[in-house]
Amino acid sequence: MNEPMKNLRSEMKKTVFKGVSFSDERKSAVLETIRKKQSHTTIWKEDTILAVLESIRYQSKHGYDISTDLYRKREISFHKREGELYTLLHTLEAQDLIRSNWIDEKKYYLIHKKGLKYLASCEQGEYRKSVELSHTVEEARW
Amino acid sequence: MNRPEPLTITEESTVSKEEIISEIMQDYGDDTLHLVFTYVKNLATAEDLTQEIFIKCYEKLEQFNHQSSIKTWLYRIASNHCKDYLRSWQYRKIVLNEKIGNETPSNSKQVEEEVIANKQEKSLSYAVMSLPVKYREVVVLHYYEEMTLTEISSVTKVNVNTLKTRLKRAKELLKNKMKKEV
Repeated sequence: MNEPMKNLRSEMKKTVFKGVSFSDERKSAVLETIRKKQSHTTIWKEDTILAVLESIRYQSKHGYDISTDLYRKREISFHKREGELYTLLHTLEAQDLIRSNWIDEKKYYLIHKKGLKYLASCEQGEYRKSVELSHTVEEARW
Repeated sequence: MNRPEPLTITEESTVSKEEIISEIMQDYGDDTLHLVFTYVKNLATAEDLTQEIFIKCYEKLEQFNHQSSIKTWLYRIASNHCKDYLRSWQYRKIVLNEKIGNETPSNSKQVEEEVIANKQEKSLSYAVMSLPVKYREVVVLHYYEEMTLTEISSVTKVNVNTLKTRLKRAKELLKNKMKKEV
């Protein structure tokens, strides 16, 4: 029985697996899915981050107020995708640049020490290098 | 004044991770698909599952600890994914429907039917494909994917001695099948 078993690989290739190959289309489909998963990492423009921080520099505001504030400043990064503002807010909070608390079922955000420092250094033009912020909130997989 | 810490938490390795998966697919794409096919016996399903397996690899790449070879690691993911599928309601429903509506040629029976149609009953390959899954698995991994029993043990998490017994039993079953058909 050992003899025929040795040829099993070549025999199966000729019979059961004849023409069975993981095609390039299938490979591209895998890479496409991977790329989509990666693009969940959003990179925000520095100006957008600054605009958000400035908006809550002196008084705490809730999301919608910040959003109108940004609109007034002609910061339109979140135009038609307002939801992403909240992702950015969460990221900034996770990185301790801003703090938040709940008042009357609304979440109010206010700049924190680290955020002020960041803002100040940007204003002094010391730290003009583009800054990347990525959010770690992973979308729930179905 | 102190400079603020740079605010970067981007995954620097995303690009290279994609390249790694691309390379793994290039090297093991066909063999993985073949392995998956021996579990599910349906080409379209096997292709879908193989695609999902490589995506899983991408997600679990950090967990690969270099203690095992990439092949062992990949096949472990593949084998588990196939077994999950075979256990799934989706698959059982198909099998059940086939049992009810027996007149229509079924997908998972496809292989066996092809055997009869092509009069290839004597072929060892088809005999292997008709083995129960626990025997089929060890035969395919050992003789087709050319893995040692120790490697198979780390893929399937089955004791080496148990694998030896299964392999022996599998060969007996094959011998009988071949004899009957001659």
